[in-house]
Amino acid sequence: MSNTKKILLGIGAFYVLGLILLLLIFGVTTHKNNEFQPQNEFKLDNWVNLGVFSINRAVLYLFIAAVLTIFTMMFVARRMRARPNRVQTGTEVLFSLMRDNITRGNMDDSMAARWFPYIGALFLFIWYCNLIGYIPLPTNTEEKFNLFGAQIPSFALYAATANVSVPLVLALVTFVAFNWEGFRTHGFFGYFKSLIPSGVHGPILLLIAPLEVISLFMRLISLTVRLFANILAGHMIILFMAGGLAVIIGASWLGWFTLPAGVLLYLFELGLVATLQAFIFATLSAIYLGSAVSHH
Amino acid sequence: MLAPIFHIAAGVSAGLGIGIGGGLGAVGAGIGIGFIFGKVIEAVTRQPEMRDEITSIQWLGFALTEACFFYGLVAGLLSWVLK
Repeated sequence: MSNTKKILLGIGAFYVLGLILLLLIFGVTTHKNNEFQPQNEFKLDNWVNLGVFSINRAVLYLFIAAVLTIFTMMFVARRMRARPNRVQTGTEVLFSLMRDNITRGNMDDSMAARWFPYIGALFLFIWYCNLIGYIPLPTNTEEKFNLFGAQIPSFALYAATANVSVPLVLALVTFVAFNWEGFRTHGFFGYFKSLIPSGVHGPILLLIAPLEVISLFMRLISLTVRLFANILAGHMIILFMAGGLAVIIGASWLGWFTLPAGVLLYLFELGLVATLQAFIFATLSAIYLGSAVSHH
Repeated sequence: MLAPIFHIAAGVSAGLGIGIGGGLGAVGAGIGIGFIFGKVIEAVTRQPEMRDEITSIQWLGFALTEACFFYGLVAGLLSWVLK
């Protein structure tokens, strides 16, 4: 038997034993817990009250993401070497993904040169926003715990992109940008004409034209909801699987039972969804920008 | 007299909202994602030299399909929050 097999078997036995032990001690009893509200995990408490510009945890996460985006990239850019180390190689892969795949793949070269800074910054910012969301930070001021007399906010997973307003603003910027590009290339009426697929004439226009205008606005909604719902649902399912469900139902064995699913989902979200959603948002922004100026 | 019945019905329907929204959304997205990856395997076995290009399109399609699941889930959550 190999070492890996032994370790896996040990973990499996530990899991089953723990489950049996919890069932023996606490039994299959449940009680309804009305105190714990799962939606409070995503609640925004104002820490510094400045009216519309109040600082809450979403703002903190946005600041961290923005600072990380700027400083990590400037740090790498300042220390470029002819023989790259691992960090530089990784950043170069990221850079070529953003420049060649996302931007140049979807628009012509003169436009790509103009819009690459925006698309690249968008990708990196959303990426950092998503990634720091999987580091537990002491930001849950709703629930506090006592550490040697000091009231410390609970450690919580939260991402700024799990709040609908952040993706909405990013989507609005993209929306304004591609419409502006479209108006600039085709003119005001020309742009609306360019939205309609070629070969459509006559009375069918009455049906197609409103649909095309609606689909233009649907892009805004789908961009927003895709990012926000992916991150929110990911955080929620991690919360439920890693113990939230057990707390609501009041069954300790259930928490132990669902914990492996929580760990697996955490790895899935961290490894795939965080990067994929940033990639999708940037790619779709590039596609919309490219299609706004094309003739079809 | 009808108030408790309505209260229970509201609670049940809120639960149903998440169940139907999440469940049917998962059905649709599951079929869609399976279809995409099946087609990707088919395409790569036919033209292995196109692999890199297909991979990037594959993730785009995956994310667009997966989003449909979340539309259902968000609609369900809305029905739960607005109960």
